[in-house]
Amino acid sequence: MAEWTLMDRCCDKCWHTVEYPCKHFIRCTVEGPLCHESAECRVKRKRRIEELKYGKYGIKIKVPISSCTLAAGAKEVYDAVSKEVLSSGLNADITISGCMGLCYLDPWIELSKKGLPTAIYVNVKPGDVPKILKEYLSGDLSNAFALRADPEGIYKNYKVPLLNDLTLWSNQVRFVSRGCGVLNPESIEDYIISNGFRGLDKILNMHPKNVIEFVKKSGLRGRGGAGFPTWMKWEIAQSQVSDIKYFIVNADEGDPGAFMNRLLAESDPYRVIEGMIIGAYAVGASKGYIFVRAEKPLMADRLSKAVEEIRKYGLLGRNILGSGFSFDIEVILSAGAFVCGEETALISAIEGRTRPRQRPPYPATRGLWDKPTVINNVETVAHVATVFQVGVEEFTKYGTEKSKGTKMFCVTGCVSRTGAYEVPIGMSLSKLVYDLAGGPPDGKKVKAVQIGGPSGGCVPSNLLNTPVDYESLQSAGAIMGSGGVVVIDEDSCMVDVAKFFTSFTLAESCGKCFTCRVGMKLLYDILKNITEGKGSEEDLELLNELSDVIIGSSLCALGGTAPNPIKSTLRYFRDEYVAHIKDRKCPAKVCPNLVEYWIDPAKCVGCGLCVKACPTNFITGERGKPHSIDPSKCIRCSQCFITCPQGAVIKR
Amino acid sequence: MVKLYINNKEVQVEAASTLLDAIVRAGFKVPTLCYLKDMFNEATCRVCIVELSGGRLVPSCSYPASEGLRVLTDSERVLKYRRAIVEMILASHKIKCQSCSMKGGYCQLLKLSKEFGVEGIPVCAECPLYGSECLLNLGIACLGPVTIAGCDAICTKERSPCIGCRGPASPDDVLEEGIKTFIKYKINIDEVVGISELFWGSNPLTQTIRKLFTNLHEGGRV
Amino acid sequence: MDSVKERSVDEVVSTILGKYNQRHHLMRILQEVQSNYGYLPREALEKISQSTGIPLSDIINVATFYHQYRLEIPGYYIFLVCMGTACHLKGNQDNYNVLRNTLGIKKGNTSSDGLVSVEKARCFGCCSLAPVMMVVSRDGCERYLHGNVDIKETKKLALTYRSMASKKVRSGE
Repeated sequence: MAEWTLMDRCCDKCWHTVEYPCKHFIRCTVEGPLCHESAECRVKRKRRIEELKYGKYGIKIKVPISSCTLAAGAKEVYDAVSKEVLSSGLNADITISGCMGLCYLDPWIELSKKGLPTAIYVNVKPGDVPKILKEYLSGDLSNAFALRADPEGIYKNYKVPLLNDLTLWSNQVRFVSRGCGVLNPESIEDYIISNGFRGLDKILNMHPKNVIEFVKKSGLRGRGGAGFPTWMKWEIAQSQVSDIKYFIVNADEGDPGAFMNRLLAESDPYRVIEGMIIGAYAVGASKGYIFVRAEKPLMADRLSKAVEEIRKYGLLGRNILGSGFSFDIEVILSAGAFVCGEETALISAIEGRTRPRQRPPYPATRGLWDKPTVINNVETVAHVATVFQVGVEEFTKYGTEKSKGTKMFCVTGCVSRTGAYEVPIGMSLSKLVYDLAGGPPDGKKVKAVQIGGPSGGCVPSNLLNTPVDYESLQSAGAIMGSGGVVVIDEDSCMVDVAKFFTSFTLAESCGKCFTCRVGMKLLYDILKNITEGKGSEEDLELLNELSDVIIGSSLCALGGTAPNPIKSTLRYFRDEYVAHIKDRKCPAKVCPNLVEYWIDPAKCVGCGLCVKACPTNFITGERGKPHSIDPSKCIRCSQCFITCPQGAVIKR
Repeated sequence: MVKLYINNKEVQVEAASTLLDAIVRAGFKVPTLCYLKDMFNEATCRVCIVELSGGRLVPSCSYPASEGLRVLTDSERVLKYRRAIVEMILASHKIKCQSCSMKGGYCQLLKLSKEFGVEGIPVCAECPLYGSECLLNLGIACLGPVTIAGCDAICTKERSPCIGCRGPASPDDVLEEGIKTFIKYKINIDEVVGISELFWGSNPLTQTIRKLFTNLHEGGRV
Repeated sequence: MDSVKERSVDEVVSTILGKYNQRHHLMRILQEVQSNYGYLPREALEKISQSTGIPLSDIINVATFYHQYRLEIPGYYIFLVCMGTACHLKGNQDNYNVLRNTLGIKKGNTSSDGLVSVEKARCFGCCSLAPVMMVVSRDGCERYLHGNVDIKETKKLALTYRSMASKKVRSGE
């Protein structure tokens, strides 16, 4: 017989079934039983909650399983933990959890034992597992990275900081990501004991208009990029008269450098779905789609599992909890195209077609199969669920006048603490880059910060005090986008960065409208010429003018934002462009045609590896003596640079 | 019915109309290429863009007309952008006017590029507008296929061969296409180069023509 | 894979079409076909068109528009090299070149022995471990993610997976 869970009936007095649901079901699972008084049932539930929190035997080992931790070897760690527990005969629960966002620490494990503070061990190798377990269980926490919770205040005995005392944690506001790295993403019980589904419980007794009013009060704006007020979208769709309406969650995260949606959906999928049900209730949608990128298979798995689980308990489907509201969700795998982040292209994709279409009509009035459709981003709906769970005040406490609440940012690139951080909107960029992400490693300087992916722009280091909110970023030439922050250090060439983004959007342009299809190609060709040292000064003017035309007259948001990286680098790093054009030099020594490879005779040991690597055979020298490259014949393939074991090949 | 303003002129159209309908109703003109009346409006060519009062540029062929909208069809910005768009279209267009079936004034792109003074198409594109018989067909060395248009084909109209006074057509593939035409009509390339030297002088392009001609001829791609 | 080889394209496609046959399922149908074969065989596309009435041109339009679909048979293992911003800045382009050189791929994406393919891929969302590459097997059953790979590691990975692939192919899997 399967184990009794919180979602099951406590005794025969409970009459709840999926067909004839009790409307207090959600609260009853944790606070119950509500309809009858029975000490036995109450204890049964209490004991189960205890078990979930601390494990059956008082020892719990959490191993995070998500795409990022898997890449760092979490699977091996999980296996090592299971093996160790089995072989040592330890009575402990091993559970999986999501990612807490501090990816540079991957893979980590969390150990908890009654009477000891919960400890987090980071950068764990499978071989370390037995030692870590032994140490922790014997009460020696000295090798832990941080302690998560310490109700008894005994952490001071150990020389290990509390997680909350670390700058990278204390500066964050874990609002929407509160469950990430804490909850078991594959357990609905875990979610429900941490205040889960309370939002759904609340709204089913509210009028849809009041639900929208509630969201309006929170001032929540779409977290997907443009920052369109969520309530406004909902209200337009709600006011449409139609036999069927759709609610789509866009989980087709395509921005390179942004992964907060993946993180949220992998680590806390129930929250996403709860938010989605709330939204659907508000606009009166009866069918929902989650559009997930196929390159992120774990995210799709977790979401599908969660949908099934929720449906099993009657929180999805016909007549949800007796409210008369019916809603069902289908998870659709996207075959991957960046343009699908655009609303109308996403709709096309679900319909089995390609390419965006001209707006208006906007999807909220005519969307999927010409029916009113609301499309929200994963983070937005997760925010909705959380706002309804904890109340508006908790949300509006943070943020700026125009944009309330918190936002997740993924800080990657040249920083020492890469990861996803949730901060109040309006925090300064420098705080995000230095205090949270730790700034560049090995003392390099930040040159620029690229925000908003291929549609965003580069903010130079002297503007790092810009607060991160929709308006300030826009005036600095970037956009909030989905919140990908890529830190660029001195080793990168800004023209090359612009070229990279242009090549990205050029490849991703769907080819429907002229300005984007041809314009991006023209821009790319000009940039390519510049990086190859064939540029002229008129090119800069042309880049600027062409960018304006593409932005002004493209069909969809992809073309309308694609030249942003070029415009912002031109605005702040014009001198680098000029150096490429006038001096025929790449200051950061990145552009292959503008650098010269040279072998430092002091370092070269004459091993001859570069001679073998050189495809043109223009490296000469006797074995054991310094070699040299013939600069006039060098094709700058950088093979010698890559091959040299001594680091004697130098770009100059 | 909705009321809106096209270039400050008041006009009334039915509720489901597009801006283009309103513009036509108001008596103004906006060029279109991909637009087909009563068919789906894909709005891909972007040449019909107009400016709304907020400064937004929208394609008039698919944007719905709504109450009180103020639309400018030929503001400075619209004209500048439209010209750039036509240039882009031409940049990605394989210019093969000599062999194109849209001869005789049907080519909207030609009209547009003339309107905006965008150069790149050869005289051969304009010549058929006046119904004159092709001189190449008569074996006369006419520089039409390789010369920039814009002269309204003034010479060929009068049955006198083009002597390339406006200079060579710029993109290489136009030149190549032109030379293919010469080969097709068996025109002596020395004669063509000789005439071209009159205006193009020591322009290296005359050499290019010779080189292309030899390549094409020997490559057997005729 | 064995069972697939024995089943004809017709059978595979009709099983899939038994589950999904609407116009808007097209993406799903193609995904399922690809998970059977590792790519989209032309016959399968034609069969889908015949059975569902969706014009072949439409099917090919979708198959070529989205990045996930392959129209040519890949190697047993496929290296997906992430080309996201963070990976670009941290030198995944070099890794890509090294992979191709080590595996001796000159033209196309697949090594001449047909064992390993190298493809550029879109961001996996593992940017904090950049540069990243994913290795998947053709049948989609195996999937390995490698983070923080440098050039040495790349070379090692290339050789490891090639020998793994040749073992698998020899043992008839």
